Amino acid sequence: MRPLIPPTAGRRLRALAAVAIASTLLAASACGGDSGGGGGGDSANGEVTLRFTWWGGDTRHKMTQQAIDVFQKDHPNIKIKGEFGEWAGYWDKLATTVAANDAPDIIQMDEKYLREYADRGALQDLKKSDGLDTGKFEKDTLSAGEFDGGLYGLNAGINSFAIVANPAVFKAAGVALPDDTTWTWDDFTRIAAEITTKTGGKVSGTGAPGTNEAALNLWARQHGESLWTQDGKLGISAGQVTDFYTNLLKMRDAKAIPAAESVSQDMNAPLDQSALATGKLAMSFIWSNQLVAFSKAAGTELKLLRIPSTDGKAADNGSYYKGSMFWSISSRSKHQKEATEFVNFLANSTAAGNILLAERGVPPNTEIRAAVDPKLQPADAASSKFIQDIGKELGDPSPAPPVGGGQVEKITQRYTTEVLFGRLTPDKAAQQFIDEVNGELK
Amino acid sequence: MSALGELGSLRRKKVAGQQPNRSGWTGKVKKKDNLSAYLFLTPWLLGLFLITIGPMLASLYLSFTDYNLIQAPKWIGLENFTRMLSDERLHNSLRVTFTYVFVSVPLQLAIALLLAVVLDRGVRGMAFYRSVFYLPSLLGSSVAIAVLWRQVFGTEGLFNQLLGLVGVDGKGWISDPSTALGTLVVLNVWTFGSPMVIFLAGLRQIPTMYYEAASVDGAGVLRRFFSITLPLLTPIIFFNLVLQIIHAFQSFTQAFVVSGGSGGPSDSTMFFTLYLYDRGFGNFDMGYASAMAWFLLVIIGVFTAANFFASKYWVFYDD
Repeated sequence: MRPLIPPTAGRRLRALAAVAIASTLLAASACGGDSGGGGGGDSANGEVTLRFTWWGGDTRHKMTQQAIDVFQKDHPNIKIKGEFGEWAGYWDKLATTVAANDAPDIIQMDEKYLREYADRGALQDLKKSDGLDTGKFEKDTLSAGEFDGGLYGLNAGINSFAIVANPAVFKAAGVALPDDTTWTWDDFTRIAAEITTKTGGKVSGTGAPGTNEAALNLWARQHGESLWTQDGKLGISAGQVTDFYTNLLKMRDAKAIPAAESVSQDMNAPLDQSALATGKLAMSFIWSNQLVAFSKAAGTELKLLRIPSTDGKAADNGSYYKGSMFWSISSRSKHQKEATEFVNFLANSTAAGNILLAERGVPPNTEIRAAVDPKLQPADAASSKFIQDIGKELGDPSPAPPVGGGQVEKITQRYTTEVLFGRLTPDKAAQQFIDEVNGELK
Repeated sequence: MSALGELGSLRRKKVAGQQPNRSGWTGKVKKKDNLSAYLFLTPWLLGLFLITIGPMLASLYLSFTDYNLIQAPKWIGLENFTRMLSDERLHNSLRVTFTYVFVSVPLQLAIALLLAVVLDRGVRGMAFYRSVFYLPSLLGSSVAIAVLWRQVFGTEGLFNQLLGLVGVDGKGWISDPSTALGTLVVLNVWTFGSPMVIFLAGLRQIPTMYYEAASVDGAGVLRRFFSITLPLLTPIIFFNLVLQIIHAFQSFTQAFVVSGGSGGPSDSTMFFTLYLYDRGFGNFDMGYASAMAWFLLVIIGVFTAANFFASKYWVFYDD
């Protein structure tokens, strides 16, 4: 066999090592350059290509592609290229493309990042976009995407944070579905623990609150505070965060929620592999519009329940209508007119409404809502009805997160894990949570 | 001046007279050679300057700025670097990274060396074993394997099923902050194949006569290993050590995929590189992320230099 390293290996090896190490070192700090590529371009016959990005599960991808097909049929000169993926990787990808000056023309935006992008001039002020009609929109639904006098995100659907229950699991466990208009957090914990016990631990009563910041916000609102204030500051006190985590520990000790490691594993699981979709939870926390996707993934009809309150009055549970997501247009898009036309189609055309239904939340355009209502599939209809049912009990809208507030989801997840594993006491976790969130705000 | 002296100076003159001519001729060839060499190197040079040096210089500049990816960078001097001093999550990420490097690299090299020695003793079908052991090195840093790792060490993963067979209750290895980093260490150790192949090549260089002589003198297996194999192999050990340390400091993919991009649970797998990425692309703080990148470069540089310095005392060059 031919030797790999020649007999006088010593000195040469040293040289080889030096070269190898130098090149590895160089690679250390170099970020791979992306060739970027493409962007929307015009071809000779005046055809325009728009790029449209969204996050979501399979159901959404299929529906959105259908809507795109209908739009393209009516606009033979506009081509729409969909770019979609899971929530977890979506924001990294968007940040990268925006930084590379290669942002998609139409962006599905979330409240958490709306200001982040808009404040930096990455999004078009839709008030200045010709051909976008917001006349039929329900009052108040525009305001969430509106600030500093401009409209940077058009409400794509209304949702609300809620408990989702799997009636099949309740039945198997022999536990009755609760009356969600009167239940308190203690009831919630008790019922969840009962399910865990009665199924011998095969199923856990509920997913943990605190796998994102929404439950924390509602907890704050139930106690006269709010996660964010109107003027863009952190509004929750260390005391309320402590109480929130103390309650979480109470749920853990009662075995109402799964073991810490299962909660932590579920935080980043794709929707179809999540504990709720795979039937390991009787209840969990979701956004109401996700009922469709989760019901499909779980293969059974799930049911939305109101968030528990402290005093047994649903009207005091802090719920509010949220813009589930927004349509935004990149300020650097070279095809503002065509992009506006497409957003207008998504928001105001019955054709699009009939395809998209309530998967992104209840349509904010009241005419579309009325037209779509009879066509809703069971899960869509249920989430739409839920949104209407809770309408009378709602409090004030919740202030939008300020710049830097997008980080709060990950921060909440981290401290929830710390508390559940017993690495931090609730009050220590609360103080660090407050300090860290304040540090992120700019 | 003697005739001899004159001859001598003449020859010198002659030589001196020839020199420019000769060097001029070779110089032309050299220049021509150089030109074609550079031409052949162009694709690589373009890559080096555009994809490596260019971005490096850009990141050096950005490390002194406040840059949010969208608006133009603002010069802030050393602020990014001073901020690192008080960033506790950064300190944690350093702890995680150092633990990872200093646990996984020695383990990996020890296993690689052990297997190389065993394989070198002429196992039947060695080519097959070598390939099998090398395979993880090719796959180890891929996304697919990291995804697989997630499944293997998950709550209902293969590892827990194996434990179940022997009656041990498993747990969510990847979702528990006290064991998550351990699974990544195991993943890195598992890629022992590439240092192993280099060790094997090194073992082949050791003349068998040393072993024969030692055997005649009655040296046993262990004695031969510690007195012959190990000292003669030190250059290779050193080479592997330096490369694997650099490699381990830079690991990113495994932690990113296994933790679902979060560095979790509870930042327990938050490598320095992962935190850098989180600051840059998650938090739109590319200036800070650039400063971190340069800090990492310095750390790796210091460790490499220290390694070279220490090598004087333990690496034995047989030349």
